[in-house]
Amino acid sequence: MTNPSARSPEERVAFLEAKARDVRRAIVEMVHSAQSGHCGGSLSAADFVTALYFDLMDIDPAEPRKPDRDRFVLSKGHACPVWYAALALRGYFPVEELSTLRRNDSRLQGHPVATYLPGVDATSGSLGLGFGQALGMALDARLSGRTNTVWAVLGDGELDEGVVWETAAQAAKYRLDNLVAIVDRNNLQNDGRADDILPMEPIDRKFESFNWRVLEMDGHDMRQVLATLEKARERTGKPTCVIARTVKGKGVSFMEDKREWHGKPPSDEERRRACEEIEGRTE
Amino acid sequence: MSLPPAKAPTRRAIMDRLVEAAREDRSFVVLDSDIGYSTYSYLFGDAYPDRYFNLGIAELGTMAAAAGLAADGRTVFVCGYGVFLTMRALEAVRSFVCYPRLNVKIFSSHAGVTAAIDGVTHQATEDLAFMATLPNMTVLAPCDSASARAAFDLARNTPGPVFVRLMRDPLKEVYAPETTFRVGGSHTPRRGDDVTIACLGDMVIQAVEAAELLAAEGISAEVLDLYSLKPWDEAALAKSLDRTGALLVAENHQRRNGLGYELAAWCMRNGRSVPFAQLGLADTFAESGAYAKTLEKFGLDAAAIARTARDLVARKN
Repeated sequence: MTNPSARSPEERVAFLEAKARDVRRAIVEMVHSAQSGHCGGSLSAADFVTALYFDLMDIDPAEPRKPDRDRFVLSKGHACPVWYAALALRGYFPVEELSTLRRNDSRLQGHPVATYLPGVDATSGSLGLGFGQALGMALDARLSGRTNTVWAVLGDGELDEGVVWETAAQAAKYRLDNLVAIVDRNNLQNDGRADDILPMEPIDRKFESFNWRVLEMDGHDMRQVLATLEKARERTGKPTCVIARTVKGKGVSFMEDKREWHGKPPSDEERRRACEEIEGRTE
Repeated sequence: MSLPPAKAPTRRAIMDRLVEAAREDRSFVVLDSDIGYSTYSYLFGDAYPDRYFNLGIAELGTMAAAAGLAADGRTVFVCGYGVFLTMRALEAVRSFVCYPRLNVKIFSSHAGVTAAIDGVTHQATEDLAFMATLPNMTVLAPCDSASARAAFDLARNTPGPVFVRLMRDPLKEVYAPETTFRVGGSHTPRRGDDVTIACLGDMVIQAVEAAELLAAEGISAEVLDLYSLKPWDEAALAKSLDRTGALLVAENHQRRNGLGYELAAWCMRNGRSVPFAQLGLADTFAESGAYAKTLEKFGLDAAAIARTARDLVARKN
């Protein structure tokens, strides 16, 4: 991959927008192939995950365990199709393997498992507990004198878990400014609106009151995503929370902001329509 | 010959060894959840503050943090009370420590009713069931200073997660300081021919005292200390039963899903039809009170072990 900094800002954005379309198509294909999995929360996170994997993170697919690599923890582990898609397209493993999602003998488990796949450093799937692992990784980086950033992606529904706030307090205690939590604020969880199921607003003030620095962005505007996440990794003496305002199912009109697409696989016809939309072949 | 009093509780002995080892091993870290003055992890924290993390009264988040700290191979010791580490943090232990097989070592104090005075909320009486059930987990239960010190080295040197069951109170010393221990090993602090008393942790001390009571009446009891519960020393039990032909299991834990169930299933699988009895909590919670009195009340003391062994020996004939 060309060094992102060698590109003009416009080229960076155009490149990432194209990559995000590839990631989205892979998500839909993968969940269709498995006939099981989570499209909605994968698609809402697709743009910022693409920006991290194809531009911002210091990683090397040829050396997936290099010690000073940036770490990525998908604390909302059910959205692993977006992670698997990004990893495969970035060259960590063959793209063809994506069709083995959730099958016996596959490295692409229903929720991600550390050590099964190159590039996956943390097991997740039980909400709230990937975040704590990310905190441990940030402590480990500091102890080892490494300067890498640890990126954790949380769902907004995940904030319901009490352990999230244990971790938030612990990270602030140690002023882990190498830790960035991105909250995928799509306002939908399994049973309905996040704001209805267990209201957590004001999320920004909650994190601020835990002594975190809080940034916000439109999670689907690649310019904003790049600018905000670049700022997020600056060292300021505090951990950083980025609230990404997103739309669940983004990029596929009939999935967008629909509760039922949290964990439903597309039919053959829905897959076809979704891929056409993502590739821009329909109006 | 009765056992000498313990110099320290096992929770302290293991931590003394940890602090010693920290002098030459700079790689490991220690986590606690605000009971460092009880687990004695503060001894490490005072000496090595940069490698000690007191993460607050937040056992679940602490266990998740341990998994993150261990993700690149670092060894992490997590100290606390058994009730919290094996229940509140159980899911993190299972899914994020055992599943990816990380080097997280759990030093779990207040086992069984050894925390009798604190009451049921502080008595880990189901911990072995939870921990031994988890794939990839090694489970150790030392009974005295020598075995607790050895448990530190076994935990550090055994790849993957290790759970060490520790006790609140100083009891007795069973082993000489130079005794060696191994994962999957056992010791026989008393040899005998009439009945095998299989046990671990503080029950080893009660069993040794029971063996002395039994000796006075001409019954020769063998005490088999299965300080390594998982994996455990099947060969030693087989050899012992070849000689004694009767098995009594004593554990400071629920009878269900502990050492007794494990050994009973092994006997069935291996066609060992021997008189068998189990001492432990009989599907009941204990209560607060003095340790010795609580053991007596729930049938876990030397007298109860001797009584049950006597009945078993009678059933052989």
